[in-house]
Amino acid sequence: MLRHLFTLIWNRKRANFLLITEIFLAFVILFVVGSTLVYSQQNYRTPLGFDYEQVWQVDLDPGMQPRAQRAATQRQVIQRLKSLPGVRFVARSSSNTPFSGNSNRSDLRRTKESGGAYVNGNFYYVEDAMRDVLAPHLIEGRWFDKRDDASTRQPVIITQETREKLFPGESPLGKIIPNGDQEMQVVGVAGTYRASGDLSEPRAAAFLRVSPQDTSFEHLETLLVRVQPGAGAALEKRMTTEILAIGKGWSSNITPLAEQRAAQLKLIVTPLVALVVVCVFLIINVALGLFGVLWQTINQRRTEIGLRRALGASARAISAQIVGEILVVSTFGLALGLLVAAQFPLLGVLGVKTSVYLTAMLLATALIYTLTAVCALYPSWLAAGIHPAVALREE
Amino acid sequence: MLLSYLKIAWKVLLRRKFFTFISLFGISFTLMVLLVVYAMYDHTMGPHTPEKRVDRLLFITKLELWSDHSQSNSGASYSFLDRYVRPLRTPEKVSIATDGGSLVAYVGNQKLKLDTKSTDGEFWQVLDFDFLAGRPYTVREVREGAYVAVINESTSRRYFGTTQGVIGRFLEADALRFRVVGIVRDVPASRMLTTADLWKPITVSTVDLRDPSYLGPCMAILLARDAADIPTIQQEFRQVVSRVPVPDPKAYTEVRVYAEPILGNLLTRELFRTTGPDNGTGRFMALAFGLSLLFMLLPALNLVNLNVSRMLERSSEIGVRKAFGATSGVLVGQFLVENIFLTLLGGVLGLGLAAGVLHLLNGSGLIPYAHFTLSGRVFGAALGVAVFFGMLSGVYPAYKMSKLQAVQALKGGTN
Repeated sequence: MLRHLFTLIWNRKRANFLLITEIFLAFVILFVVGSTLVYSQQNYRTPLGFDYEQVWQVDLDPGMQPRAQRAATQRQVIQRLKSLPGVRFVARSSSNTPFSGNSNRSDLRRTKESGGAYVNGNFYYVEDAMRDVLAPHLIEGRWFDKRDDASTRQPVIITQETREKLFPGESPLGKIIPNGDQEMQVVGVAGTYRASGDLSEPRAAAFLRVSPQDTSFEHLETLLVRVQPGAGAALEKRMTTEILAIGKGWSSNITPLAEQRAAQLKLIVTPLVALVVVCVFLIINVALGLFGVLWQTINQRRTEIGLRRALGASARAISAQIVGEILVVSTFGLALGLLVAAQFPLLGVLGVKTSVYLTAMLLATALIYTLTAVCALYPSWLAAGIHPAVALREE
Repeated sequence: MLLSYLKIAWKVLLRRKFFTFISLFGISFTLMVLLVVYAMYDHTMGPHTPEKRVDRLLFITKLELWSDHSQSNSGASYSFLDRYVRPLRTPEKVSIATDGGSLVAYVGNQKLKLDTKSTDGEFWQVLDFDFLAGRPYTVREVREGAYVAVINESTSRRYFGTTQGVIGRFLEADALRFRVVGIVRDVPASRMLTTADLWKPITVSTVDLRDPSYLGPCMAILLARDAADIPTIQQEFRQVVSRVPVPDPKAYTEVRVYAEPILGNLLTRELFRTTGPDNGTGRFMALAFGLSLLFMLLPALNLVNLNVSRMLERSSEIGVRKAFGATSGVLVGQFLVENIFLTLLGGVLGLGLAAGVLHLLNGSGLIPYAHFTLSGRVFGAALGVAVFFGMLSGVYPAYKMSKLQAVQALKGGTN
């Protein structure tokens, strides 16, 4: 029966060519949109790895103040902020704060000589107090503290993604890795840390300690402040006033991380929504078209169907044939589409996990089959209702 | 003759309403999506306030110190633009402003974050803002470092609660007091190079005007005397840049900075992140054209499928016409006209839908201060796209119909 259907469609491949192309295109679109959605959803479900509620980002702009004085003024600002009621912890940070869209990427290597294991990771320069501000999740070892003041090597905490690449199957604690001409010593391992945002892929990262003696200002212009729950505009205004009172000619900008997150999400989700809306419209369009074409063909095939009925085929068999035929046409289109879709995981161009593509392929295939079957239902019912005597007399 | 074709087309449309609905649904939605995208493009790049004379404007927003191994790029510094761009002879006027910035004002305990642009006095002569009240600050006020500001309508409402009688009152932000000298109509956030909530003299900003380094937070806007002068200005600027000494010649070999029209500047530098001499406008156009073609392909195929499968309905008509001597060419013409008529009808519906969607977008606040409208250019685009879509989806069915054998067609067969 199935073979028979395939032969039927194959023999009329020129007539079915347009339908097959249409289904092929619809599949490709569903696959692309599906991959994007599955990818985003998988990332969204991964934990961020830090606590952003009640954390405010304070951007400082020293204006025209001479460079040499900036760090000292910043120190005063931090002292003052810490003393305000409602402020719990303050820490300096590099500008790649959560949800800011900034990144500072470099290669992390296992050994100084090139050729060993390496991974490109985000470098976060943080102070000891960052443990209390963002509360990154620690898996092994310890967070930076006073003990690190004495160490001759730059202490570093790597995330689990970095460990998997650089130290597969061994404990990284105490290990020494190069950083340019200098050396870093691993003191701890943190869990996944996705400061790039909710929909970003978990990627390798490392925290580098900024010691309290560090008086550079340029990479550490940003402050992260953990405030008491319930702190609001009053505290924000107070903070701004205090900062501007200490730093003459300075300007500052305070943004709660929750707000920054919402803004970033809106920026990413809006195009996704637009994509989905357009895709839904295209699919509805295809479905309607398919339905129209099938309906039309039933009218053209009345004699054929009448003949089959007259020769003893049941109404059920007729329905099955109509639905079966369109499913076979879909299979041809899908085969072409899968051929194209398979190139993505095979070539690995976008660096996305294969499971994402497979899920999207599965979803798109299922959706196309469902769609075509549903579109064929009414025409097949019409076909089954054709009375052989009437149909044959028309001829 | 055309009239009778149209009459026939109308009758065919009315005959099977369900099929007409399917066709129109596909056409109108396709055109709607394209029109919305085009309206947004026009809104961002087209000649609208404040860049009304956009065809006469050039922008310099990025500067790169370049070598094979090392690149460093950001905006340009004020001193660089002041020394090398301001003295250019070919532009009518040059304005220097900051890329952007922000100030924080408080209304009671309510925080008001104001996007701010610090500009020189020429800024107001190069661009055309709609002033609701007051005036722009002058070149002299900028030179003297006066604490004056032009604010937009929304800021005036939020801070003062009104737009009436605000001129001369003071707005306090970042512990500075600015005297409001003018109120302008809101500039959509999509005009990325000129939008702000508050504009103030660059001499009262945190920008160091004497900082000798090339990289900085500023941009320049050049107004040409005539749209045709644009290449001349670019030429002159290229020559000036080629003589600019490279700072830190050990690390860098080249200073890369270009004066470009709004599209080349804004979209391609941001989208492709290119810094070389080619700003990628050509690539962007090709990409946009390719994508919209790809997007139209599926609905077009759908329409082709429908039309081909409906050929049988018309076979006796075709047979009669052929029998009476109509050539294939005439028949192809007729069916194409019919299809274009259909797509134009869809285009009208699409325009209506697009107007609705743009209205929703305006109301949603997705892009602050956006006010998308269907301009004459959008109408033109709609017409063009509809005709193109009609051709795309009509040629194959028309060809197939015209190829029907007269005898077969009269008999009522298709193959």
